[in-house]
Amino acid sequence: MLSDLSVSLGPIRLKNPIATASGTFGYGLEFADVVDLGAIGGIFTKGLSLHPHAGNPPPRVCETPSGMLNAIGLQNVGIEAFVAEKLPLLAAKGVAVFANIWGDEEEEYVEIARSLSSAAIAGIELNISCPNVRRGGMLFGNSPEATASLVAKVRAATDAPLIVKLSPNAPDLVLSARAARKAGADVLSLVNTFVGMAVDPENGRPRISFGTGGLSGPAIRPLAVRMVYQVHRALPDVPLWGIGGIETLSDVLEFLSVGASAVQVGTANFRDPAVSGRLVLELEAYCRDRSLSVSDLIGRTP
Amino acid sequence: MQDLKTRIVSRTDHGPGLFSLHCFAPNLAATIAAGQFAMVGVEGRSRPFLRRAFSVANADADRGTVEFLIKVMGVGTQCLAGLPPGAEVELLAPLGNAFTVSDLSRGDRVAIVAGGVGVAPFPLLLRALSAAGIAADLYFGGRSEPDLAYRETIAPLVTGRVLISTDDGSRGAPGRVTDILAAELSAGTVYRRLYACGPTPMFKTLARMLESAPAIAAEFSTEAPMGCGFGVCLACVLPRPGGGFLVSCKEGPILAPARVDWAAC
Repeated sequence: MLSDLSVSLGPIRLKNPIATASGTFGYGLEFADVVDLGAIGGIFTKGLSLHPHAGNPPPRVCETPSGMLNAIGLQNVGIEAFVAEKLPLLAAKGVAVFANIWGDEEEEYVEIARSLSSAAIAGIELNISCPNVRRGGMLFGNSPEATASLVAKVRAATDAPLIVKLSPNAPDLVLSARAARKAGADVLSLVNTFVGMAVDPENGRPRISFGTGGLSGPAIRPLAVRMVYQVHRALPDVPLWGIGGIETLSDVLEFLSVGASAVQVGTANFRDPAVSGRLVLELEAYCRDRSLSVSDLIGRTP
Repeated sequence: MQDLKTRIVSRTDHGPGLFSLHCFAPNLAATIAAGQFAMVGVEGRSRPFLRRAFSVANADADRGTVEFLIKVMGVGTQCLAGLPPGAEVELLAPLGNAFTVSDLSRGDRVAIVAGGVGVAPFPLLLRALSAAGIAADLYFGGRSEPDLAYRETIAPLVTGRVLISTDDGSRGAPGRVTDILAAELSAGTVYRRLYACGPTPMFKTLARMLESAPAIAAEFSTEAPMGCGFGVCLACVLPRPGGGFLVSCKEGPILAPARVDWAAC
């Protein structure tokens, strides 16, 4: 018999805690050949804006030790095309879809949230932590006041479960977490990428055109684990979605242990597109062999 | 696309820093179309972290193998260069679109223009063209003679002429491969199609040349550094004329030159 891996994060109920992170899973359908989308806990879409967005000029990505830097600049099809063209196909796969949204101004976030009111989504994730756009993005995440103001406005505009994705680049992550929660966030996801930089030693130029980029992959895992731990200790009642360099079952267990109720697999999807489906099976086997439920695994770290 | 665990059956060294890996992947060998590519990864390695994109150079359905032509450039290719026969590699494949051959007719003549390791996708294409009764001339250029080390392997597949150039004149005509093509075109040689793969400056020159030769439908095998290879990471974008970007791995890698704003590359 299969173990029950279901978890709850505030108003969100997932069939299992393995989701895929925004910006690393496209619109989900790209993975249909190698992942049974209906078997994973959920997917977070590429960051959606009110209008289609072209993104930054190349080069946009460079590999770094155990990870990569990116400055894609939130290239996306826009909310309208997503709802009309991608969402119906995703819904048919039986997967919980979380719309990751971003804007330059508060009003854009609000408008996108409103436009999703009748869409078949399981929740909205506010991206206030993208380091790779000139306006908006991380700026909302860098001050607790800006975070609170934005979250409150979106909260008032939607009944959908509201997730706020925090920036590890914020001066005080716990303050930001508290501000987001107080303003109405149901769940916090952490962390987004760390601002980093890589330079070509031959000519001294940045390796990606934006100059700086977001560092992701296993290189950031210990930092992300520490941050989830820190926020969980400060705000033990807030459901957390852990993100940062997850590749293996032991990485999943690590994040659950420090207080995440679910995880998002990110950059690993690029090098190993089947990884999310495999982690569900591995977690299922782990829990079955030990007669554990997922809740037994959450928050065990003293 | 499938994620295949395969083994290296054999390796061929063509010259310093240039080699072929032959991997056992029978289904892929039987179905791959010329121009498609694979993301090649080494199991269990964190460096390189990402896989690397390589055109499938050739396929041997009888042996069940696919060939990748690899030039040592950096961490990823160095890692692949160190693998012995028997080593396991992961192939995410088949990826991308293919060269168009089906609209050509028996007796048509086409040109293939290759710059350096850009020759990689053409053995498979030459075999498809040959099977369809289409004659192909191969224009093959490099900076210097060692860049042309693969010519001995590919020459037997060429049904037309092999025209060689090197920037330093160490082999073939001195100058760019686009120079020898331009000379042939002005001498009256007519091609139905031009297939090209090479560095960006070669594409830029070819795109300019083709503007004055609209009768030659062209297909470029583009290569921008890829993170995932299946349209998700959005690293390998190329500028479109009029703004925005196209995703090379998903919309290509085979693209008509007019789809890219080469001046912005």
